[in-house]
Amino acid sequence: MLKHLYDTDCVTWSPQGKLFQVEYAMEAVKQGSICLGLKSSENVVLCSLKRQPSELAGYQEKQFKIDDHMAIAIAGLTADARVLCKYMRTECLEYKYTYESHHPVGRLVFKVAEKSQHKTQSGAKRPYGVGLLVAGIDPNGVHLFETCPSGNYYEYKCQAIGSRSQAARTYFESWFHLFEKSTLEQLVLHGLSAIKKAIMEDEELNEKNVEVGILGKNLKFTHLNAQELKDYIAKLEGFNPNSQIQQE
Amino acid sequence: MIFNSEISGQQQHTTSPVVTGGSVIALVYNGGVIVGTDTLCSYGSMAAFKNVQKIAQISKNTIYASSGEYSDFQQVVKELAKIDRSALQYDDGVHPSPKDYGNFLARLSYKKRCKINPLYLQNVIAGFHNGERYLGLIDIYGTYLESNFITTGFASYFCKAIISNYWNENCTLDQAKQVIRECFKVLFCRDCRAHDVIQLAYVDAQGAHIEESERVETKWDFNGFKSRANEKLHTQ
Repeated sequence: MLKHLYDTDCVTWSPQGKLFQVEYAMEAVKQGSICLGLKSSENVVLCSLKRQPSELAGYQEKQFKIDDHMAIAIAGLTADARVLCKYMRTECLEYKYTYESHHPVGRLVFKVAEKSQHKTQSGAKRPYGVGLLVAGIDPNGVHLFETCPSGNYYEYKCQAIGSRSQAARTYFESWFHLFEKSTLEQLVLHGLSAIKKAIMEDEELNEKNVEVGILGKNLKFTHLNAQELKDYIAKLEGFNPNSQIQQE
Repeated sequence: MIFNSEISGQQQHTTSPVVTGGSVIALVYNGGVIVGTDTLCSYGSMAAFKNVQKIAQISKNTIYASSGEYSDFQQVVKELAKIDRSALQYDDGVHPSPKDYGNFLARLSYKKRCKINPLYLQNVIAGFHNGERYLGLIDIYGTYLESNFITTGFASYFCKAIISNYWNENCTLDQAKQVIRECFKVLFCRDCRAHDVIQLAYVDAQGAHIEESERVETKWDFNGFKSRANEKLHTQ
């Protein structure tokens, strides 16, 4: 209850060694609707649940292409995400202009993390209130990274962030050993199954509120269109990960 | 010379080079790429520095050579080395490919050309990456070209015929070396700012190898020189 003594700004530590402002920023990420990513040896798939502020409104997009070989899914403050997205796109363009090749993924995530950390060490600034899942492919391989408002970044085989993401992570824990060798279609179905675990009882997945982005070694980043989403969601009924084990 | 000094009050622009290096010849062969230069830096018409290495190793699989102002060559080597070092900084094991260096140098040259203060160089980047051979030519304006063979300076005038007749892109390393040696022989005879000591460097799947400098064979014992035939004519 004494939190309020130490949480005014980023330049105040609590006696327990916490920066409350940074922790509050990470709460903003947890409040965002779920997005998840998973990768195989050839592909990365991003799935997100889009929120509709009201019946009159459209659905808020959660995935943005950074470059042909890279994309992000966001959870948290969309406005902050826009800033980071613009930064990443600019960096990729500059790299392409200078070197005529794709920006290494890890390096860009590092730059974003540096930018984020900077905001956590100033009296006059606040941390970014958004977490990113960065999916990318470079000569080093297939990557999925998560960035945090704290300025930390982690590489994952699969990860889910946002509200009720624990349910999706539990699904991943059971099945992630299959992802490495999965086909693109299997990956998408796994992603959608994981999202399905995270939705409320009265909600249902449909092509309007779900967003799926795919990226491959020879496949530039693309969103699945409405028809493709419908087809995948229809396939979900009959999707049984156990059958994948029998194949191997 | 390029100054950047508050004392002088204004930035000067390179209008002509002072210490210059001669031609560069680069070829691909069946296992990689090979670059040859001579080892002379001229001070105008004076052969001032006769044992200069004009081929630099930029990274494990990339080498760089250029003809033109030698101090600009040294500067470019520094700039390119900075890029390779950034891989250490980011700790991600990602190293630029030879093509990345080529494009970077093209952008750098173009930027300086736009400020009317160019790097007074014809640059050659040579490398071997993922089984592919790479040769890039970047000129003083920032023009960027990739090719199977590259000549700069006087070699562009004298050596293309030799290369055309005796080289093909799948020749062996030794064949390519012989072609380059032959080219520098001709250059020594015809280019007044050339030297008879050359250096070869090649990049293959194992990486970059810069060899010791070697003297090209020259032949001066022609009968015409021996018998001094022209002198006889004059005394008649």
